[in-house]
Amino acid sequence: MVANGTTVKLDRVSKSFGEFIAVRELSLDVRAGRVFGLLGPNGAGKTTTIRMIVNITAPDSGSISLFGRQIDSTTQDRIGYLPEERGLYRRMRVADQLRFFAELKNVRGKEVEKKIDEWLERVKLSEWKNKRSIELSKGMQQKIQFITSVIHDPDLLILDEPFSGLDPINVELLKEIVLDLKRSGKTIIFSTHQMEVAEKVCDDICLLNRSRKIFEGSLREIKRSFGRNSVAVRCEGGDGVLDDPELVSKLVRHADEAQALLAPGADAQTLLKRLLTSGAVIGKFEMVEPSLNDIFITKVTESA
Amino acid sequence: MRKFLAVVKREYVQRVRAKMFIVTTILLPVVMSLFGLVPAVILSIDAGSPMRVAVLDQTGKMYGPLRQAVASDDTDQDTPATPQNANNGRTPARPGLGNFIFEQVYPANQTPEQIRLNLDRRLREKQIDGYVILPPDFLDHGQAEFFNRNPGDVISRRMLQSALNRAVREQRLVEAKVDSRTRQDLFKPVELQAVKIGAAGRERDSGGSFALVFGIGFVMYLAILMYGQVVLGAVIEEKETRIAEILFSSVKPFPLMMGKLVGVSLVALTQLAIWGLAFSAFALYGVNLLASRGLSTNIPSIPFSHYLYFGLFFLLGYFVYATIYALVGSMVTTAQEGGQLAMPIILILVISFYLFFPVSRSPDSSFSFWVSMIPFSAPVAMLVRIVTQTPPFWQIALSLLIGFSSVLVIMWIASRVYRVGMLMYGKRASIPEAVRWARQA
Repeated sequence: MVANGTTVKLDRVSKSFGEFIAVRELSLDVRAGRVFGLLGPNGAGKTTTIRMIVNITAPDSGSISLFGRQIDSTTQDRIGYLPEERGLYRRMRVADQLRFFAELKNVRGKEVEKKIDEWLERVKLSEWKNKRSIELSKGMQQKIQFITSVIHDPDLLILDEPFSGLDPINVELLKEIVLDLKRSGKTIIFSTHQMEVAEKVCDDICLLNRSRKIFEGSLREIKRSFGRNSVAVRCEGGDGVLDDPELVSKLVRHADEAQALLAPGADAQTLLKRLLTSGAVIGKFEMVEPSLNDIFITKVTESA
Repeated sequence: MRKFLAVVKREYVQRVRAKMFIVTTILLPVVMSLFGLVPAVILSIDAGSPMRVAVLDQTGKMYGPLRQAVASDDTDQDTPATPQNANNGRTPARPGLGNFIFEQVYPANQTPEQIRLNLDRRLREKQIDGYVILPPDFLDHGQAEFFNRNPGDVISRRMLQSALNRAVREQRLVEAKVDSRTRQDLFKPVELQAVKIGAAGRERDSGGSFALVFGIGFVMYLAILMYGQVVLGAVIEEKETRIAEILFSSVKPFPLMMGKLVGVSLVALTQLAIWGLAFSAFALYGVNLLASRGLSTNIPSIPFSHYLYFGLFFLLGYFVYATIYALVGSMVTTAQEGGQLAMPIILILVISFYLFFPVSRSPDSSFSFWVSMIPFSAPVAMLVRIVTQTPPFWQIALSLLIGFSSVLVIMWIASRVYRVGMLMYGKRASIPEAVRWARQA
């Protein structure tokens, strides 16, 4: 594997279905050994991009390389893919399913049996090994689906909305597993429209909107570039101040506090002063990093 | 290739291991033989009590021949001593035939009117089940009357009628002074022996291979009816369970579809082989049993190459139709939709099965040539041609080539339609859409 190199490289890739352009001139680099977040609202082109990487659809133009070579059906075997649309064979036993999916990736033999046991142990489903999947609860099925994407020990793991529909305990469990895989040197592409989840897992992100890339880079960097221009406030009174567009460009009220995004040119000290003079009783006033969600919204509005 | 085999293995193992497979393998022959047996059993049920019939014979000479006619029909059919058989050859020993108890009614001093009243009374009191009046001019005009309580009993009436027929014919011959030898000779049945003129000269053909072709056609029809739906279901399975996308990230659509087709077909062949072996075992046992009783059964002698063709064309027929089911499966999203769309397939199947008859009448015509080249009708049509007037080898080879290539082409189209349909997911494809999808990359 290319250490510290690029696992996936897209070069001006476009794909359209009839009149509809799903992906437009997209270039990106997914660095090895990192979690890459492919983010954007529904219909932004995330799934189409992934399908091209997995070689399910071919791009209309542009090129995609994987591990330094052009993609083809053999590169498929080094990818583990958990699509958003996923399921299991209803009447097939859990172990048989996992064995089948491994065989489809050209992995078979004793090694697979060991892996099956290890993974079932890991997600705490060992005693379900010989049950048919219709007997499993939905959460259990999702964990089995997750295993189908990692059973062949892929170098690149692509997860499309992996946590949707899972309870918090299992989300935590899978998140741990993903981070472990990263630590062992795997590259992970993580696609979601849930920014809060992405914020906790991703190293690098790419924001897509309406088939175009609007930002790509490390999460750290982008947050730093946005600076600490957001303030968490809990106060009584002073509403007029927070609503002043010269100071606050955007205000989000939560149950007991509000988050204020400072207007360009305004600074936090001025805001605090204005609040105090207006007679507001302040319980909390804290500079915070902008959330990925805020960044996304800002970026989308900028690009429009 | 290994991925293709993995798909084949999964389809095969999962299905053969399923309870359904074991149950149908055992139960279907049982159900089929019940279908064969039950009607026969039911028909033979009312043989219990013979029908009591009073006969008023006003001709004075018909009672004896009538009794004889009924009795003779009940005895062995194969004795040519009874001329009736020749004439009435289509009636095998029907259950209950000859199941009459006759009783002659003598006019004594009663008027016909009184006798009738008397018989009516006995009919009501259930001393008799019916009565026949043969008028004095019966032999000339052949008109008689049958009175009974149950006019719905068509079987008894027809049996009585045919017995009377025979009795009258016999009696008329007697009166025409035809002696019994001549009578027998007159009714001697004809024997028409079919002799086939093949390339090797004259050879007797007992029609055995013909029956075999019909049998193969029928088994093919049965296999397609049973397994076409299974192929359809197998193709839809990944759509309904939403596994398709995971599969396509590992295996290309064509090997996937072929794997499914081959896997299910192997299941079908396994089941047919089990039935075939069981049936042959029974048949052999039966032949031996007959042989031990001194009855010879003639097993048709069929050249070895024909067996090979039977096998090949059976497979061709099965695959051509199964492939169409796969294509339908690639277009729809649920099994119900598929069932509706698959209806015309059965129609095509039935039509090509009936081509058996025109082709067997003129196996050398250009019509026969063309239908034996079209994949849908080729299996039955070509087999008929092979057993009747074996066509040149190139025609057989060409027919197989066209057939099996169209299987591959249809599967290729199906896999493309399937993949695009999966990517578009949602509604089922209309036929023009399917065409467009197949053309798209």
